[in-house]
Amino acid sequence: MKFFDLLSMSVSNLWRRKLRTFLTVLGVVIGTASIVVMVSIGIGMNRSMMQQIDEYGGLTTINVYSGDSYYGGGMAVAVSESGSSSGSQTEPVRLNDEMLQVLSGLEHVESVTPILSVDCLAKSGKYMANLSVRGIPAELLAQMNNMEVGQGTLPMPGDKELKFFYGNTVITDFYIEKTYQYYWETGVIPEIDFMEDPMYIIFDMDAYYASQYPSGDGTVTPPPKKYMVEACGVMAGDVEYYGANSSYVFCDLELLKEQLQRVFKNKAIPGQPTTATGKPYKEIYYNQVDVKVDDMDYMKDVQTQIQNLGLSASSNAEWIESQQESSNNLQMALGGIGAVSLFVAAIGIANTMMMSIYERTKEIGIIKVLGCDMRNIRSMFLMEAGFIGFVGGTVGILLSYGISFLVNYVASGQMGMAMGTGGAAEISYIPLWMPPVAIGFAILVGMLAGFFPALRAMKLSPLAAIRNE
Amino acid sequence: MAGKEKRPIIETRKLYKVYSLGENRVFALNGVDLSIREGEFCSIVGTSGSGKSTLLNMLAGLEKPTKGEIVIGGSHIEKMTENQLVKFRRENVGFIFQSFNLLGTLNSVENVALPLTFRGVKKEIRNKKAEEMLKLVGLSKQMKNKPTQMSGGQQQRVGVARALVMDPKIIFADEPTGNLDSHTSAEVMELMRRVVKEQHKTLVMVTHDNHLAGFADRIFHIIDGKIVKIEERENYREE
Repeated sequence: MKFFDLLSMSVSNLWRRKLRTFLTVLGVVIGTASIVVMVSIGIGMNRSMMQQIDEYGGLTTINVYSGDSYYGGGMAVAVSESGSSSGSQTEPVRLNDEMLQVLSGLEHVESVTPILSVDCLAKSGKYMANLSVRGIPAELLAQMNNMEVGQGTLPMPGDKELKFFYGNTVITDFYIEKTYQYYWETGVIPEIDFMEDPMYIIFDMDAYYASQYPSGDGTVTPPPKKYMVEACGVMAGDVEYYGANSSYVFCDLELLKEQLQRVFKNKAIPGQPTTATGKPYKEIYYNQVDVKVDDMDYMKDVQTQIQNLGLSASSNAEWIESQQESSNNLQMALGGIGAVSLFVAAIGIANTMMMSIYERTKEIGIIKVLGCDMRNIRSMFLMEAGFIGFVGGTVGILLSYGISFLVNYVASGQMGMAMGTGGAAEISYIPLWMPPVAIGFAILVGMLAGFFPALRAMKLSPLAAIRNE
Repeated sequence: MAGKEKRPIIETRKLYKVYSLGENRVFALNGVDLSIREGEFCSIVGTSGSGKSTLLNMLAGLEKPTKGEIVIGGSHIEKMTENQLVKFRRENVGFIFQSFNLLGTLNSVENVALPLTFRGVKKEIRNKKAEEMLKLVGLSKQMKNKPTQMSGGQQQRVGVARALVMDPKIIFADEPTGNLDSHTSAEVMELMRRVVKEQHKTLVMVTHDNHLAGFADRIFHIIDGKIVKIEERENYREE
């Protein structure tokens, strides 16, 4: 029997009992839609979680610190083994340019970003602030996430002078020097225009405090030199938006190094390691190196390798993993709720097919006597059941898109009010692979439900047909 | 030609069918030997419960005998599996039923074309063939009618056309006029007789009506599962 003949026979059989077919299909529609919507909510939540993680520093970034750091589980390894330049046997492994080469040479490492952090004081008009300045090679700054420019530009490679790029919440670090009033007390954003107002930076904070608050023995420390540093730009976002980099000031690494060496000359730079006798090292060590891995799957591998170098390494990997696990559990639970209704729909299909066979016993007998293959009879019933699944699945998917749109519409309205940021996150997200998978699944469920009825039809005795009632 | 027509196309040897009803054993067929020649119109006549329908079902492979042999066109159908039987029926056997057994959702052409559908014949070809057959049985005007839009006689003509469309060697008819009045019955019988002669088919008909049995070339009388008398048409007298 030709496939098309089989199909048209099956469909016309369904068409004969429109109401019953409609009701059965409706069951599948509801079943499919509930699975798809539930799973889409799970996926949507997962996505917004990922988005959030991305905002807080990325999924594939490992933060590497020197071996003596308290971050992460790095172990102190003798320096002589790791090829660092300096003398003592118990020195922790530190992050210098040499180590940068080693890190970027590791497998699956996409890029390494050295970071030199320095705290300094900033003065502008009546305001003062404690700034966290991060020196990063200018060419790498442009590639970083969460670095949207609101005003001006990022520090450019090839700049001759040190220029600062302010994070969008840095402005709230400024307080009125006389009253110590911060933004979070007054609610008034300090009136500083980074781009226009002159900003004076004090790098030697110890000297500044010593000059401000003389110690008891009467020695007078002269106030340290202030340096005027131009701003090159400000990050996008208002003061209430907390991105991963919002609270930092960024500048070019090399220029910052030069500046520090100029300021401190032979003295120890604060935050830098010193020798046992308190003398500074020749080179400036980085506080942190961000290692970007090409794929999330290799995060753990690379992290372990880095730790084996004697460095400390921390990443979001473990946190993400546990988050993913709990979101997977949530998805399964949601999917399970949907599955129950599809299961009920499957019972409906089986029932409809059974009824149909009782009704058509005679007809099945006739076509058997007329020489219809047993396999064809089975296929015909399977097709009917599959067709119910197909139509139900297709309509169910369309319905899910509608529900998904509604859920997102309502939710974005509420979240928009609650967060004031427009609520970009989608609660329900239907990925492109979902429609074909859902329809395929609905067909499969239909055919499974129709399988035993079909077998029964196949085995019906043809004698039933010619027995005269 | 005459010699060829003498060759038996259906043969049974010592055919038994036993039903167990509790303790009792009922012999529906009690050792039937019969031989039907190619191109012959035979009727099997007997009262209700005489075993005539059981015999027909067995010849058509719808029921298995308890014991004995059925040879049709050289093959033993009592040894076939159900799948083989379906194939055998599809290729060799046409059926005419008492209650017509047309599919109510299909029109005449589609009903007649149905057996060809099972053979995987293309739609244009099978419809053309079905139309030819309908013309042959005199239903050129009822091609598009559904069964419910036709009289009993017309429906049975569709049934005859459906049995013929596959070009089978043998046609089985189980009380083909049982649901028709006597006038229409005679018409249908004449039609069947004419058509099988024209197309050189073997027709085996089961009936309880002695008058209708008289349309056949040979008449087998069956009583209590045994063939008791075989008559030629010329010598046949209704009792």
